[in-house]
Amino acid sequence: MNPAALALAQIGAYGLASGLYLGLFLGGGPRLAVWGRYIFLLGFAAHLADIGIGCFDARHPLSSTSEVLSFVGWLLASGFLLASVRNRLATTGAFAAPTVLVFVLLARVLPDAGVRVGGGGLATLHILLSATGEALFALAAVLSLLYIVQERRLKRKDFTGLRDGPASLETLDRLSRQCVLIGFPIFTLAITTGAVLVASLGLLRTGSDIRAEYLFAVVSWFSYGTLIIARRTAGWQGRRAAWLTVSGFAAALLVLVGYFLRHLS
Amino acid sequence: MTNALEIVILGLSHRTAPLDVRERLAVSPDDLSERLRQLRQLPGVAETALLSTCNRVEIYAAVSDRATAFSSLQGHLNLQVAPIAGHRDAQHLIEPHLYRRHGRAAIHHLFRVASSLDSMVVGEPQILGQVKDAFKNGTDAGTTGPTLDGCFARAFRVARRIRRETGIGTQTVSVSSVAVDLVRRVFAGFTGRKVLVVGVGEMSALAARAMAGEGATIVIANRTRANAEALAQAHGFGVADFDDLDAALAGADVVITSTGSRQPILDRARLQRVQRARRFSPIVIVDIAVPRDVEPAASEIEGVFLWDIDDLQKETALHLEGRMREAEQAETVIEEEVLRFLGAVRGQAVGPTIKALRDRFSELGRAHVERARARAGITDPRVSVEFERMADSLINELLHAPQVALKKAAAVDDGDALAGAVQRLFDLPAQGEPLEPDDDDDDDDDDDAEAKNTP
Repeated sequence: MNPAALALAQIGAYGLASGLYLGLFLGGGPRLAVWGRYIFLLGFAAHLADIGIGCFDARHPLSSTSEVLSFVGWLLASGFLLASVRNRLATTGAFAAPTVLVFVLLARVLPDAGVRVGGGGLATLHILLSATGEALFALAAVLSLLYIVQERRLKRKDFTGLRDGPASLETLDRLSRQCVLIGFPIFTLAITTGAVLVASLGLLRTGSDIRAEYLFAVVSWFSYGTLIIARRTAGWQGRRAAWLTVSGFAAALLVLVGYFLRHLS
Repeated sequence: MTNALEIVILGLSHRTAPLDVRERLAVSPDDLSERLRQLRQLPGVAETALLSTCNRVEIYAAVSDRATAFSSLQGHLNLQVAPIAGHRDAQHLIEPHLYRRHGRAAIHHLFRVASSLDSMVVGEPQILGQVKDAFKNGTDAGTTGPTLDGCFARAFRVARRIRRETGIGTQTVSVSSVAVDLVRRVFAGFTGRKVLVVGVGEMSALAARAMAGEGATIVIANRTRANAEALAQAHGFGVADFDDLDAALAGADVVITSTGSRQPILDRARLQRVQRARRFSPIVIVDIAVPRDVEPAASEIEGVFLWDIDDLQKETALHLEGRMREAEQAETVIEEEVLRFLGAVRGQAVGPTIKALRDRFSELGRAHVERARARAGITDPRVSVEFERMADSLINELLHAPQVALKKAAAVDDGDALAGAVQRLFDLPAQGEPLEPDDDDDDDDDDDAEAKNTP
């Protein structure tokens, strides 16, 4: 199948699903959730087919910046669908679908660059771990964002978009916590392999951009570490935990931005 | 020749009759079988089922003669009221409240009733179960038959379709269920949740019972401890010390307050203190007291979700509005399903005519093939088979257009005339009347009765 057609199908389906989910979030009827889900699934299938065909075409998910971006988007979509199996997360789609769409669009719009770092298998492992960690943190941030908005609505007694039984605040908080708990060790390994890679290639001496990237990674790691400890010891939950999750993802996003700036320059 | 039956309904409901009339006609479960048997033996009644709920009493019947059946069914109802009202007054008592439906209007009515569009609270789920029970009782008593079977089976499918395709049943419409619904926006479920009820008001007890039914543990605190203990004993709840409310609040996930206090019993400072002790974990407070028990500013505290009686009532009203919007869509589905059902029934009604036509042509075809074979002295079986095939093929081609025309005419309510014409043209035996005749001739009277009595 033509990769351009698959790309168009992904963008179209994710875009349409984003619109439907946003409509639901703004108070539309339950049918929007059903259609949003079907169309998101179509986009997901086209996305999977695109990645699968790419693998046969020497474009595996870690082969270039575009493929990595697309892969992070696909992982996020997978996580969203997986979490939706047992939870009513249709309103979360209002944040998840546009985020996936942004990743897919960036993968197509940004100039492509092959991953040029040396280090062979270790570099591949580092990129894979980073992409998976970023996707999990992105999903946690999406869930936390919805928590913040939904909590504000409930406190203001504005029940718009809350009448069709969306996931409770407790469920959103629990899922976000689980994403961070799974993502944190993966991200820790990504940072560790990255450190080994940077040291072995002597990049710390030569590349100032990589120092900034690494700094953001460490800030992000500390945010999530603090969050996990605060949840365990101080009983943090709800709004505070949600804000810290979103902040942690902002730092993690900067790592991703730094990575792409470095590879595209 | 077949004798098709017509579906009729004679009954009254909350729309046409006040409670004191409805209760006189209500049928107790113990009497149901006997009543069904009595109804089945009435002149003109071939099949029957009886629906008796707090909001309606309706007799569904498949009848061979509508006028006779209505007359005998009403006589039966008069007899039920006569022991209380006297024979002379019985008719005057119930007649103004009765409605009669037949044919298409009866099917339409049954579909609406089963789908909860005719209920007092539109969209309530119990009525489908009650209609199913009514049908099952008829089946168990042996008073239903193929006509009612088909109609009720379709009514259940229509009701399920409406539940599936519209949001008519998704929104709760009582204050206590709205409270449960709102708590679900914060907590995933009630299992393992602790609900503290402060005060022993009727509405708070209702909400507490609803939450207990979902798996929550209920604890009651009341200024007069004896009242709390009485309520707790009646429902299997626990009792908390009203003088140590902070401790009870610290362990609660949901609080329902309904005391008669003139001043707020939970002010902002108190709840701030409690929340600090709880590490600001979420707590839902449903304040249904007037004047309010909780200071409104308490809703600004982290983790506190506070809703008062106004919030619940506004939400209830919005839910009702939502249901009414969905009901409009459901009415369209009902219209569509009635037409589909009638099309299927009428299609079946022209079936015998089509069969008779095919039999007549096949008979003629076989006779002509036989004669031709005898005249030509054909003995080769292969040639005979070819002759028969040619005759069959010719008959199929000739009859295709008339068959399609009959089925199409049946679907648009013109099947009788065309079937009659075909029977006359080809000298076929008459095939009887269709199951569902035209219906609008005397519905105006029924509507008048409804209009007069609808509150």
